[in-house]
Amino acid sequence: MTDEFVLSGVVHAYGAGVRALDGIDLTIGSGQHVAIVGANGSGKSTLLKMLDGLVFCDSGTITAFGRPLTEDALEDPSFRREFRSRVGFVFQDADVQLFCNTVFDELAFGPLQLGLPHDEVRSRVGEVAEALRIDKLLDRAPYMLSGGEKKRVAIASVLTMRPQVLLMDEPTNALDPRSQVWLLGVLAQWKAEGRTVVIATHDLSAAAESCDRMVVLSEEHAVAADGTPDEVLGQRELLLSVNLIHEHEHRHHGSEHMHGHAHGHIHA
Amino acid sequence: MHIPDGYLGPQTYAVLDAAIIPIWIVAGGRIKKALKTKQVPLLALGAAFSFVIMMFNVPVIGGSTGHAVGATLIAIILGPWAACIAVSISLVVQALVFGDGGITAIGANVINMAVVMPFVGFYLYRLIAGDDPSPARRVTAAGIGSYLGIVAAAVAAGIEFGIQPLIAHTASGQALYAPYPLNVAVPAMALEHMLFFGPLEAVVTMGIVVVLARQDSALLQMKPAAKPLRWLWAGFAGLLLLTPLGTLAPGTAWGEWSVSELKAAVGYVPAGLEKVGGLWTATIPDYAPSVIRDPLVGYFLAAVVGAALVVGVTWVIGKLLARRDGGSAHPTPPGGAA
Amino acid sequence: MIPVLAHISDTAPRKRGGVRSLARRTADTISGAVREVLENDDLASSPGLMQALDPRVKLVSIVLFAVTASFVHSLAVLVALVLATMVLAAASGVGIGSFARKVWSSAGLFGVLLSAPAATAWITPGAVLVPLGPLSITAPGLLIAARLITRVAAGAGFGLLVVWTTRWTDLLRALGALGVPDLVVATLAMTQKQIMSLLRTVENMHLARESRMLSGGTAKENRGWVVERMAFVARRSMKTADDVYDAMLSRGFAGEMPSLVDLRATARDRIWLAASAAACVLAIGLDRMVLPL
Repeated sequence: MTDEFVLSGVVHAYGAGVRALDGIDLTIGSGQHVAIVGANGSGKSTLLKMLDGLVFCDSGTITAFGRPLTEDALEDPSFRREFRSRVGFVFQDADVQLFCNTVFDELAFGPLQLGLPHDEVRSRVGEVAEALRIDKLLDRAPYMLSGGEKKRVAIASVLTMRPQVLLMDEPTNALDPRSQVWLLGVLAQWKAEGRTVVIATHDLSAAAESCDRMVVLSEEHAVAADGTPDEVLGQRELLLSVNLIHEHEHRHHGSEHMHGHAHGHIHA
Repeated sequence: MHIPDGYLGPQTYAVLDAAIIPIWIVAGGRIKKALKTKQVPLLALGAAFSFVIMMFNVPVIGGSTGHAVGATLIAIILGPWAACIAVSISLVVQALVFGDGGITAIGANVINMAVVMPFVGFYLYRLIAGDDPSPARRVTAAGIGSYLGIVAAAVAAGIEFGIQPLIAHTASGQALYAPYPLNVAVPAMALEHMLFFGPLEAVVTMGIVVVLARQDSALLQMKPAAKPLRWLWAGFAGLLLLTPLGTLAPGTAWGEWSVSELKAAVGYVPAGLEKVGGLWTATIPDYAPSVIRDPLVGYFLAAVVGAALVVGVTWVIGKLLARRDGGSAHPTPPGGAA
Repeated sequence: MIPVLAHISDTAPRKRGGVRSLARRTADTISGAVREVLENDDLASSPGLMQALDPRVKLVSIVLFAVTASFVHSLAVLVALVLATMVLAAASGVGIGSFARKVWSSAGLFGVLLSAPAATAWITPGAVLVPLGPLSITAPGLLIAARLITRVAAGAGFGLLVVWTTRWTDLLRALGALGVPDLVVATLAMTQKQIMSLLRTVENMHLARESRMLSGGTAKENRGWVVERMAFVARRSMKTADDVYDAMLSRGFAGEMPSLVDLRATARDRIWLAASAAACVLAIGLDRMVLPL
């Protein structure tokens, strides 16, 4: 297994000393499905954007596929094309990602930017559209679609670039239950295909179900835990201290009790 | 202030529609240099913002409401060239998607709201605010800039309307397009905006600048007033070209009657005027050099000569003043005062 | 002049017996506009004469029609042009009633108001038809007003017809095919999408305000609220621009917006173009003959 991303001592500040990431050491190998979990504001989104070369560290180093990932490196057109096609990012808000005239244009945008010939572009669009069952929507304007359809188009727009690595920011947010189940199915398929997936989420159950490794970010913007989901989720004190779960009295089955839980999933 | 189709004749709209193409091309070049690849989303958002601003009902007084245009505000945030494109895009979307606003009149609307308003407003703002203004000064500058910006745009629209009866009429002199002459259209537009829409625009612009200065001052970073002189010269040249319009006005300007005209009009000539009237013989009497046959060409040449004299004298004065001040910190640009 | 969109047909149901608050009225206007755009897609996708034409041809037609209308001066031919737009509307499945109402509210009403003074002796002296002192309506004045209103209605009507029978996505592709630079088309597309999103946000803002206010509030209070909300929209817009830019970079954007254009003109389009050109020439010719009416 090769290392896809290596982060060492990464620090990123918003300016005026407010840190988004404070000394991150992290290595992501190919084929891994990693969940980055943490409370809101812990730096999950920033970390993901850094992996996608949208945000750059103020100190520390980060390499991708063996090469340093810096602003200068991405100025080189051939590295940029290679990097952009190998790494795909699905944003938290699908609306942000859908900026083209039609769904077809959306799916074609990436391949066209890569300079692929038009026939190749057309065939990739058709293939991905069919796989995600949005082929009927190709002629529509993206802003007219429902939430679930938008998410599928957003994912499709990334898949036409045939990325080896997929970064997803809060993928289950704003998805209805049926779409969430569908998404988990997609993730399972990617695992079978050997793609590397990094998900930023505060949905612990989705993370546990789809990922084989969990990295916890503390509210101090550093890594607090790194292991298999079982290992990490077993550390109740730790999870409480990073504000990922909380306890309060509540009822179920007719009696009151307390245990650690996170809101957002149903348990009997 | 949006002008629909049918009010401006082809002589007007064709000229204006053609004029905006080079303006857009220049704007595109300037924006590409300043914003680089970020221009697409910034312009799209600027245009969407411009569109949405025009939809807010702003209470004025009592129960009346009005709408703001926001072109000066956008110029303050994005710079005048980006504001030009953003407002232009907003106008195009209004026309093509919402069926609002004319297609042939696009040129006029763009000139008024996407060129005159943001540029007049922005440069006045820059002039008053200086390089690093206090919040109070910035707000005042924004208010004055946006007020005069929208009034200038209104006057431009008034002129576009007002020249219609002059340019296109039936044999019996009836207007074929917008029926109000300059002396009705311009005052009407000017007053409406000086008294109602102008203050509204100023209040809205100032209010937004106040909030932004408090919450997100990065947005109000001073945009450079890039090469203003060049454009002043261009504007100046444009005005020069328009001087022959004066020949369209019949009669003599108020207060400038000659002795004989006065006698014909009121029947007598005041004694003092009679004594002084013939003292000075002009070099180019009546703006018509005797050697030139065509009155229009003569008028234009007179304008050029007059302008050159004014510019030359100003430049000399500027140089003399600079020398007296012992060489200023800011080198005087060619042409003296700008 | 009457500002834009103040006259977008306010199609929301009125609260019976009550004056809607300003917040409510604005929210309704906005929701009306949004609904129109969404419904437009349905109408533009249904079968009809205009819907079947290539969007490039339709764009060219708008310009052709507007230019022709601007050269026609006789009232008779102008009225004929208006009738022509009605016939085309009917042939495209557009309800004549709603079409006429929309043309009236967007251009006709404004035209009447603007030309009213011109119909009086104050602006256009001449043979008096309705004696009202200095504001008497004169024959030449009425002609000028009628001419203006009809021309405005004709141009607005045809433009509206094209907009209603063409999907925005197709219009954009047509613009690109007609030579508009790719970056411009991309910006137009993004603008439209952002407008819809911002409109929804602004509509919700006004509804939220409506639900929290017990009474109308003073003009000053309301104005303060409106201005603060506009500032919020300004900041939100700039933040969104940053996010969208990130999304574009993430998929390899480096300054160009290449696109695949797929428009193909059919025989029907060519026939339409020829017929329109002929009709325009006919109109101008008739106009010259029928003048001086």
